[in-house]
Amino acid sequence: MNKSLKEKLLSSFSDIQIDITEDNKVFINTKKDDVISVLNFLKNLGYKHLALISCTDWIEENEFELVYILSSYMENDTEYRNKEKTNILVKTRIPREKAEFVTLINVFANAEPYERELHELYGIYFEGHPRLTPLFLEREYKIPPFRKDFDTKKYVKEVFDNIPFVKDRKEKK
Amino acid sequence: MDRNKLEKWLKSPTKMGHKYSLHVVYFCTGCGIIEIPPSITARWDAERFGIIPVASPRQANLFLITGYVALKTLKAIIRTYEQMPEPKFTVAFGSCPINGGMYWDSYNTIKHLDKYIPIDGWIAGCMPRPEAIFIGVTHLWTLIDKEMADGYKKYRKDYKYYRENQEQIFGKLEWPPLFQKEVKK
Amino acid sequence: MELMVIMIFKIILVIFLAFIIGIFFLGLSRKIIARIQWRYGPPITQPIIDIIKLFNQGSMSHGVLFNFGIILSLVGSIVVILFLPMGKMCPLSSSGGLLVILYLMLLLPLGIALSSGEAANPNASIGISRKFILALGYEVPLLLIFLAVMTHYNTISIVKIVKMQSNTGWSLTSLPLLLSGIAYLLILPAILGVRPFEIFKAPQEISSGPMVEYGGKFLAFATIQHAFNEFIGISIFVNLFLGGASNPGYFFLKMLVVFFIYQFVNAVFPRFRIEQALKYLWKWPTLLAFVGLIIVAITN
Repeated sequence: MNKSLKEKLLSSFSDIQIDITEDNKVFINTKKDDVISVLNFLKNLGYKHLALISCTDWIEENEFELVYILSSYMENDTEYRNKEKTNILVKTRIPREKAEFVTLINVFANAEPYERELHELYGIYFEGHPRLTPLFLEREYKIPPFRKDFDTKKYVKEVFDNIPFVKDRKEKK
Repeated sequence: MDRNKLEKWLKSPTKMGHKYSLHVVYFCTGCGIIEIPPSITARWDAERFGIIPVASPRQANLFLITGYVALKTLKAIIRTYEQMPEPKFTVAFGSCPINGGMYWDSYNTIKHLDKYIPIDGWIAGCMPRPEAIFIGVTHLWTLIDKEMADGYKKYRKDYKYYRENQEQIFGKLEWPPLFQKEVKK
Repeated sequence: MELMVIMIFKIILVIFLAFIIGIFFLGLSRKIIARIQWRYGPPITQPIIDIIKLFNQGSMSHGVLFNFGIILSLVGSIVVILFLPMGKMCPLSSSGGLLVILYLMLLLPLGIALSSGEAANPNASIGISRKFILALGYEVPLLLIFLAVMTHYNTISIVKIVKMQSNTGWSLTSLPLLLSGIAYLLILPAILGVRPFEIFKAPQEISSGPMVEYGGKFLAFATIQHAFNEFIGISIFVNLFLGGASNPGYFFLKMLVVFFIYQFVNAVFPRFRIEQALKYLWKWPTLLAFVGLIIVAITN
């Protein structure tokens, strides 16, 4: 099943790299503009469950790498009944300076909270997303906190240690 | 434990009443809430001291802050604390409210809880076991006897400075100030 | 003049005895639940410690009707107690005792409904609507039970019923009233608000229902009213079906037996939903009370 999947993908798309590891994980590296067509193709083959959208910060190469993890429900995947489940990971790279991408809500409707989280913590803007408001954080941050050039110790010294104890505030007055 | 001494009841029933009937707000603050159900159920029974969890902050006496405090939780804690009737006591569990604990360099948790609401006592540990919780409650009883458990009086007197600290970390707060002071001309 | 003084003294004594017995039952129920769960519990005097603490605590009021509601409920309970004979004392004995009790027992949820309407909390509104539906559920079999008892003894006054039972034996030993007695035992948890009919309070689901906004002294009054309510529910059963008593000590022993019966159920059962409770209350207890009423009407 994995070999036939590889042949199908190689025949439909140009400029694609496929890697299959021993424990049934399929890694697909595509270009930025092909992502939606690859995901639609995989969805029509039966991989209808988007498990996670994640992001890696390659700071030396000045790029973000978005990772989409797909799997299929049990009845549709015949290999699952024979105890061979496949996880498919689709990866792309986007530039780090102006981080923008298109939204996936038209393909998978449950991508909305994942993209909201990535916007808040990494600073990536998704065009067409209806609601990019904060999800976990309460303050404004100059650099989004999950990037590798965010210094946590300096931030704690600036913000939290500058608030005085109540008796110090009273003595100052 | 001097619950059986009748002359103390006749001399100061207020203090004895506050000591032996503590109602706890059942608000699960952080990761330390895992140690509260073992203290309430059959093995380490907390009801024999008179401690019982209640469902609403208006009926409660004691506020247990168990574990780390994120910024979103701090808003809920301040609102719950201001709804409780006086006299009220707060006890903080674990090492995170003392000085930040395991999350001392995190961008989203506060490091010293004493700057935002008054705290009467701390219990060390990560998380403290039920025996440590009971020793902490016994210390709270001796504090109530000597009338040193006056966190709520400090909150009423220094409310202006607590409110300035809260506004420095959150920006604008959505609820009005609790105690309005008259402006002297 | 002397009669007035004796009457006032009797009224105060009856209310004081009812308060002591009610508080004792509240503390004993917590101890029984704790011992069934294999742990020590609080001491039996724990409700008194709670009331002392609650009167020394500040509270928040929502207006005049909020304060008035709990007072109305408490006064309703006290007036119902004055109509029930305890031993040989009955301060306000009249010829229409049972009907007055049936009418005044509705003041208890009505007072709490006034204050929860003023409290403006959605939990309070849900709790009090469930309490009214439960009251609708247990009023129907209660009326049938009272009708059966009244038809059998040919009188409405409770004092005369107790006097007749000292001649003919307990009501439970005669066959038609045995069915009514069993029906009353089946709806007794619904009248008192203990499990499996603890829909009124429900701390885990609706944050203690109508008492969610009660602070210091209001909660103390609500505890006292709960103690009086327990006394009323058991005392009606002892007077109508177990023959009353000749002095308060013997009366208290009979109440203790009934108390243990439903407390063992309270310690073990979970809670019904409101539609399950209504279906149950209108099926079996109503059927038993109805059959009892027909048999009484035929044999008389």
